[in-house]
Amino acid sequence: MAERAFNIRRLPGVATLAIGCFVILYIPMVILVGNSFNAGKVIGHWEGVSLHWYVAALHNEAFLAAAQTSLLLATLAALIATITATMAALATTRAADFRGQGAIHLIVNQPLMVPEIVLAIALLIILAQVKQATGYTGLGYLIAAHTTFCIPFAYMPIRARLEGMDLSLETAAADLYASRFYTFRRVTLPLLAPGILAGFMLAFVVSLDDVVMSDFLKSPGQETLPTYLMGELRRNLTSEIYAISSLLLLISVLIVAGSWAATRKKA
Amino acid sequence: MLDIRDLTKQFGKGDSAVTALHQVSLSIAEGEFFTLLGPSGCGKTTLLRLIAGFEPPSGGALVLDGKDIALMPPNQRPVNTVFQSYALFPHMTVAQNVGFALEAQGRPKAEVARVVEKMLALVQMTHLRDRKSAALSGGQQQRVALARALAPQPRILLLDEPLSALDMKLRKEMQVELKRLQQETGLTFIFVTHDQEEALTMSDRIAVMNGGRLQQIASPRELYDLPENRFVASFIGESNFLMAQKLAGMIEIEGSKTALPSGFAAAYDGPVIVMIRPEHVVLGQGPSDAIRLTAQVERLVYFGTDTHIHMRLRDGTPLVARVQNALRGGAIAKVGDSVPVAFPQDALRLLPDTEA
Repeated sequence: MAERAFNIRRLPGVATLAIGCFVILYIPMVILVGNSFNAGKVIGHWEGVSLHWYVAALHNEAFLAAAQTSLLLATLAALIATITATMAALATTRAADFRGQGAIHLIVNQPLMVPEIVLAIALLIILAQVKQATGYTGLGYLIAAHTTFCIPFAYMPIRARLEGMDLSLETAAADLYASRFYTFRRVTLPLLAPGILAGFMLAFVVSLDDVVMSDFLKSPGQETLPTYLMGELRRNLTSEIYAISSLLLLISVLIVAGSWAATRKKA
Repeated sequence: MLDIRDLTKQFGKGDSAVTALHQVSLSIAEGEFFTLLGPSGCGKTTLLRLIAGFEPPSGGALVLDGKDIALMPPNQRPVNTVFQSYALFPHMTVAQNVGFALEAQGRPKAEVARVVEKMLALVQMTHLRDRKSAALSGGQQQRVALARALAPQPRILLLDEPLSALDMKLRKEMQVELKRLQQETGLTFIFVTHDQEEALTMSDRIAVMNGGRLQQIASPRELYDLPENRFVASFIGESNFLMAQKLAGMIEIEGSKTALPSGFAAAYDGPVIVMIRPEHVVLGQGPSDAIRLTAQVERLVYFGTDTHIHMRLRDGTPLVARVQNALRGGAIAKVGDSVPVAFPQDALRLLPDTEA
């Protein structure tokens, strides 16, 4: 056997450094979640453990409306983005070479590179005109905007999964009398499913916590969870905000964990 | 049954084009175990992929049962492949893998189930029918891949180096198994390998390929006994190549002459290459029509059943003789000895003096 890979644990101070990093990363969140259980009304003044603020949040109509909007928006945007990303990934990995294949890869990933605020301003200018012309002020604009920046997040795990897949499986299916569609349905899609699931969940989380795009493009009266929280922060700072933030964090953590489990299994 | 006519395959275009197959023509008969043999890059796998339909040919025809299938998509050809990597569907069970083709063809469920059971029994995998294919050993995957390709009852079964991933012992077992399957089903097998021993022991006929060209098509015995050129002679078995002079119906090596072996009436006189297998080289005087020379022993290599004696002729040409080890008696020769060697006339083969 060749010499074992370089063992990072043997370096002096690595453990201290790692623990330090984790503390800096997670202490603020621990404080936030801890404060959400504070029974007292005044922030920073501990008065015992209570679920009071969670109960209050669940009875808060404005919060519930914002949460509903956010979940609907994230689901639809992630769904459309995942379907588009799957098609793009199939085209860039499975189709015979065609001109502009590299360009497609670049265009699909473009929202990762363009500053979000630039895209938001650009969309604001255009969509303001569209809103005026059509009179439609529904959730459609946000769905479209969220879909654009969700696509690259959905695209990455799907493409990685497709590239790692043994091409001879699809050749074998064709050899065994399967049509292209049958091959896709019985071979490619089942093997791709963990990648698609991971892509969907990533896109969902990214949409769920977006502030910039939502804040710029929402119509009057529309609130997503993050924009609602921003508004509340400006007005009254109560521990209810901590409770709502903790709930949002919980959803994100659950989804990211789910996505991790999906890609890890039979990878 | 399968007629391959002037089949040509080029990859790439213009100046960078690479020709993988040069006008290959051959015919394969019903029920034949036909092997494509050659070193890697000789075009054997390309030919197999053209027959399977994974690549379109650049020219020529592929006629199966009187119909040109050269441009037919793979899922419409009555031809199935056992892949080198097996390519089993990892998310399906053994039974689902075997039933895949029949389901893709839309056969009734009862028929699919019946054929799957029959095929699993044929390859002795019934007990693992519900196992995921990823959880199988190499030999088991091999059997499933075979059953999967046989299930739809193809006209031809293509096998792309299916044994190369197995260890030596398993490979020998699968060789016997494959031959048994082929004889039991009466199916036409086209087998691709770079292993000459595998080809010799299993095939009815072998096509030797090199550089995208057919070198010779013959039975294993003919191929070994009567190679048509130097490539075939050196690729199949071991050979000694000797420079000789051909003159008036005689051949001469280092001054010793014998009559030209029958069937080798080359048109011109002059230098030729003579081939003799190591097991035909005689240490000693040999028969009266033999070419007799003297060689110096350089090295002895013991192989159990026989000993390879590496020698040099007076002009420096290397020569190997293979002598069976006797039960009793000492060494056949010693390093440094000058020994008489003889080439019996009927063991000599004249080869066209192409490819050095």
